[in-house]
Amino acid sequence: MATGFFTDTTLCIGCKACEVACKQWNELPSDGFQFTGDSYDNTSELSGTTWRHVAFVEQMSVDDQGLHDRWLMSSDVCKHCANAGCLEACPTGAIIRNEFDSVFIQPDVCNGCGYCVVSCPFGVVDLIEKFDPEGSRYNLASLVEGRREDNKTALQGNGGVAGKCTLCYDRQKIGFEPACAKACPTESIQFGDVDVLRERARKRVETLVGRGVSGAQLYGVDDVGGGVGPLNAFFLLTDRPETYNLPAQPVLPSTRQPAGYSSAAIAAVGLAIAGWMIFRHE
Amino acid sequence: MSDLLEPPGREETIPTPTYYERPMLKMPHWDGWNVVTYLFLGGVMGGLGVIGVLANPKHESDRKLKRTLAVTALVLSAACPSVLVTHLGRPERFLHMLRIVKIKSPMSMGVWGLVLYSGAAGMNAARELALAGAIPRWTRFLAPGIFAQLQALFGAFLMGYTGVLLSATANPLWSSGKRHIPVAFVCSSMSSACALSSLLSTLEGNSEATHRLERFEMLASAAELVALMSFERHAGKYGRPLFSGPAGDRLRTYTTQAGILAPLALNLLGAIVPLPKPVNAVRTVIASVLTLVGGYNLRNTVIGAGRLSVQDPHAAFVQPK
Repeated sequence: MATGFFTDTTLCIGCKACEVACKQWNELPSDGFQFTGDSYDNTSELSGTTWRHVAFVEQMSVDDQGLHDRWLMSSDVCKHCANAGCLEACPTGAIIRNEFDSVFIQPDVCNGCGYCVVSCPFGVVDLIEKFDPEGSRYNLASLVEGRREDNKTALQGNGGVAGKCTLCYDRQKIGFEPACAKACPTESIQFGDVDVLRERARKRVETLVGRGVSGAQLYGVDDVGGGVGPLNAFFLLTDRPETYNLPAQPVLPSTRQPAGYSSAAIAAVGLAIAGWMIFRHE
Repeated sequence: MSDLLEPPGREETIPTPTYYERPMLKMPHWDGWNVVTYLFLGGVMGGLGVIGVLANPKHESDRKLKRTLAVTALVLSAACPSVLVTHLGRPERFLHMLRIVKIKSPMSMGVWGLVLYSGAAGMNAARELALAGAIPRWTRFLAPGIFAQLQALFGAFLMGYTGVLLSATANPLWSSGKRHIPVAFVCSSMSSACALSSLLSTLEGNSEATHRLERFEMLASAAELVALMSFERHAGKYGRPLFSGPAGDRLRTYTTQAGILAPLALNLLGAIVPLPKPVNAVRTVIASVLTLVGGYNLRNTVIGAGRLSVQDPHAAFVQPK
C-alpha cells in the first residue's frame, strides 16, 4: 500500500509538535538555536537532521476597511515524489523505494557523495554534518556506530551521510503512524493511504473555495510537472507555492540527460573526426 | 475582501514572493579541491585515451606518443579514484558505488566508465611497454590491441559525462547548461589532454608529435570557446552566477583569456613562424601549462558558481527544463 502525508496548512497552528516528535522518535540531534527574525521560524529549513519544518508567513495589508492580516503556517516535509530526483541520482543504491512507496535512504549504504543533495528539485535532502566530538552536531551513522563502539565512529572526521524524512519507516513497519502525524494536535498532518488522502484533499479544497477562502490550492496531489509526477506528501496551501518556499515549476533533473549525453557525444565524435584528419591525413 | 484574499489570477502584477529570501535549494557539498580536481583529471585522462587511437602507428613519432599516453593514462587512472576517495572519506565508500549499475545516474555510469577505462588503460599500458621491451615482449599477447579502442571509447565518455552529471541536477546554473556544459567539458578535456600530451612530448624531444597535437589542441580550444560563448547567451538570468561578478572575472581571465586565447595565439605562432628549437619548446611548455590552468579553472568556476546559484530562490522556483 502506498502511504503518505496530506498536510492541510489551513489547520496548522504552528505549534511545532511535529518537529519535536520527529526529532525525538528519530533521535535526531539539535541544530543549535538561533533567532532568525523570520516570524516564529527559528528552524529555517529542512536539513539532514530536521525532517519536519514549520514555515511561518505573516501577511498584512491595509485598505479602507482597515487592517487585514493573516498568518500562514505550514509543516514542510520530504515530498516522497513519484519520480524522485534523489533516488535516480544515488550511485550506491542507498536510496530505495520501500514497500510503503516512500523514498528511503539506507544510512549504511550511503557513501556521502552528495549527488542526491543537488538532485532534489525541492531542496529537501542534505548531508548530515560531520561527526563533532563536542557533541553538538553528530550524525545518524555515528549514533548507530556509537552504540557498537564507545564514542568512536567509522565516519569520524570523514563527513556524513545523507538524511531526510523516512516517513517513519520503522513505525510503519509495526503499524504505527509516523510520529509527526501522531503528534499533530489539529490533524493538519494526516497520514494514510495516498489514494484516500488525495480524495480527502480534493474535497477539502472544494469546501474551502466554497467558503470563500480564495487562494486555496492543492500542491502535489496531481502531477507537479517537469516529470516529477504527483507527490506522496502533498499540501493544501492558501497562497502561491513560492510563499512557502516550494517551487512553482520543479523539474526532474534526469529528464535533461538525453540532451546532455547526445550533445556530449556529438562534440566527442566531431572532435575525433577532426583529430583523425590531423593525425592520419598529413 | 482584502488584497490578500483576492482570488489568484491578478498575481502577475505582484512580484514572486520568497520565503524570507532564503534559498530553496541546498548548497552543493562539492566545494573542496578534490571534486574539481577529479572533474579535471578525469576529463584529461579520457582525452588521452582518444588521442591514443588517433595517433598514426605508421609514424615513429606517433608510436612514441602512444607509449607516453598509455603510461600517463595508467598513472592518472590510479590517481582519479584516489582523489574521489579523499572526497568520500574512506576507501570502502568508493566500493559502495560498485554495488549497482544505474543507467539513470550519471555518477553510477561515470564510476563504471572510470573502472572500465582503468582496466583498458592498464592492459594498453602493458601492451605498449611490452612492445617497447620494457617488460617481457611475450606479455603483449595477453593484451590485444582492442584495448586501445576500448580505452578511447570509455575515454570519450569520461570527457563529457561530468558535464551531464552537473546539468542533470536541480542547480539552476548547471541545469540551464544541459547541452552547453557537456560540450564545453568535452572540448576542454580534449584541449587539456592535447596540452598535457604536447607538454610531455616536448619534454621527450618528440617535436613531430607535438606539432600535430598543437593543431588538434587549437581546434578543441576554439570549440570550447564557442561552447562557452553560446552558453552565456543561452543561460540568461540562470547564467549570472557564472558569467558576472567575481566568478565571471575568474572565468574570463583564467579560462577564456589565459587558458584559450593565449595558447591559441602561441600555438598559431608556432605553426606559422619557424622558431629555433629551444625557443619553440619553451613556447609549447607555456601554451600547454596555460591550457591546463584554463581547463582546471573552468571546472573550479562552474562548481563555485553553482554554489552561488542556489542562493537565489527565484532561479530555483522555476527550474530550467
